[in-house]
Amino acid sequence: MSEWVVEVRNLNKYFGRHHVLKDINLRVRFGEVVSIIGASGSGKSTLLRCLNGLEPIQSGEIFIDGVCITANGVNLSKVRQSIGMIFQSFNLFPHMTALENITLAPQKVKRMPRVEAERIALELLRKVGLEEKAHAYPAQLSGGQKQRVAIARSLAMNPKVMMFDEPTSALDPETVKDVLDVMKELAREGMTMIVVTHEMGFAREVSDRVVHLDDGRIVEEGPPEEIFYRPKHPRTQEFLSKVINI
Amino acid sequence: MHFDFSALYKALPSLLVGATVTLRITSLSIVLGLGIGIIAGLARVWPNAALRAVAGAYIELVRGTPLLVQIFLVYFGLPALGLNLDPFLAGVIAMGINSGAYVGEIVRGGIESIARGQMEAALSLGMTWHQAMYYVILPQAFVRILPPLGNEFIALLKDSSLVSTIAIAELTRTGQIIITRTFKSFEIWSGVALFYFLMTYLISRVVRFSEERLRYSE
Repeated sequence: MSEWVVEVRNLNKYFGRHHVLKDINLRVRFGEVVSIIGASGSGKSTLLRCLNGLEPIQSGEIFIDGVCITANGVNLSKVRQSIGMIFQSFNLFPHMTALENITLAPQKVKRMPRVEAERIALELLRKVGLEEKAHAYPAQLSGGQKQRVAIARSLAMNPKVMMFDEPTSALDPETVKDVLDVMKELAREGMTMIVVTHEMGFAREVSDRVVHLDDGRIVEEGPPEEIFYRPKHPRTQEFLSKVINI
Repeated sequence: MHFDFSALYKALPSLLVGATVTLRITSLSIVLGLGIGIIAGLARVWPNAALRAVAGAYIELVRGTPLLVQIFLVYFGLPALGLNLDPFLAGVIAMGINSGAYVGEIVRGGIESIARGQMEAALSLGMTWHQAMYYVILPQAFVRILPPLGNEFIALLKDSSLVSTIAIAELTRTGQIIITRTFKSFEIWSGVALFYFLMTYLISRVVRFSEERLRYSE
């Protein structure tokens, strides 16, 4: 077992001629919470999508718990079982209840018996505060509730790392807190998390490390108190002066 | 102007028999077309490029040529290759192959209409592409496919009148034969039209009913 859950070496990613990720090097330790901040279009979401193989990369290497996922012939489905992915738009399956959303992958991918999968699903729904919504369809849930079900759905696969792609950006302000609370709880329990976020308060409070991505490059990274209170790079100073009102 | 609808009344039993032939040939064609179309539609979105190309060529060829010509090709053309089919079978095969192309496009459209995030979420949970397709994409696509499928079935039922040209005594052919005896064109064709309408209306009710049964809110 490797010391790093996620290790990125010299990653470069292009959309056509557009160079969206430039020489990214990033390592995430077990139990670490890393927030990725940066302006829209800086490549944050793309980086996250590369990490679980949803986006092909043009050069470099990505290792998930020691397995190189950018090598030829790698079994991506197998690797993805250990990576939870939370999307901005939830992507719950609309034709299934919350419970079915959560039990589908454990049953089909891990061949878990239904009773067992449902027991775990109910436990997870309780954890995210939505036990009573087990039989609700996504259309009957608020945005914040959908996102919490999505988190439970990912946790049901017992991942080694959870990745969040702007998990609260599509939410009504009053439901943001419930989702952030669930994420904070996860962090407290020692879950390894990579969070792409615009929630600076969350990044400051919960992260062990903050990474600032600017125009496809990691320009600065460090503990939140360094990044937020003593940013060194002029681009980071400029970005933070725009997003934080003090 | 004098209409003699008693001629239609007398023709009803024959027209009814013709209508059942139309129903039989159409339903068999629908089954064949659905089978071919589901395979073609899936092939159009399959990760394998060769499969996509073959399905694409089939769909383009069939949609780019008239059904009447396809019927003639199967019935009059295939015997040149030593394959003699009776008219009914030739009709079903030609119509089934024809409908398969349209159903294929409907299936492809339905699959592609499901937001990309659904596939991504399923893959992220560790499902394979095939599992994601089967458990996540297809059940949602199916609900969206139903209304255009209903249209295709109705079009196919009406187009089945073309097999009257290869001497199948379906509804249209039966009407023609009766008119050669009675010369009551208006009355008989009105009756034929009414029979077609009743059958297409039946299909549209069945499709509507299934839609309502299967709908979930998105």
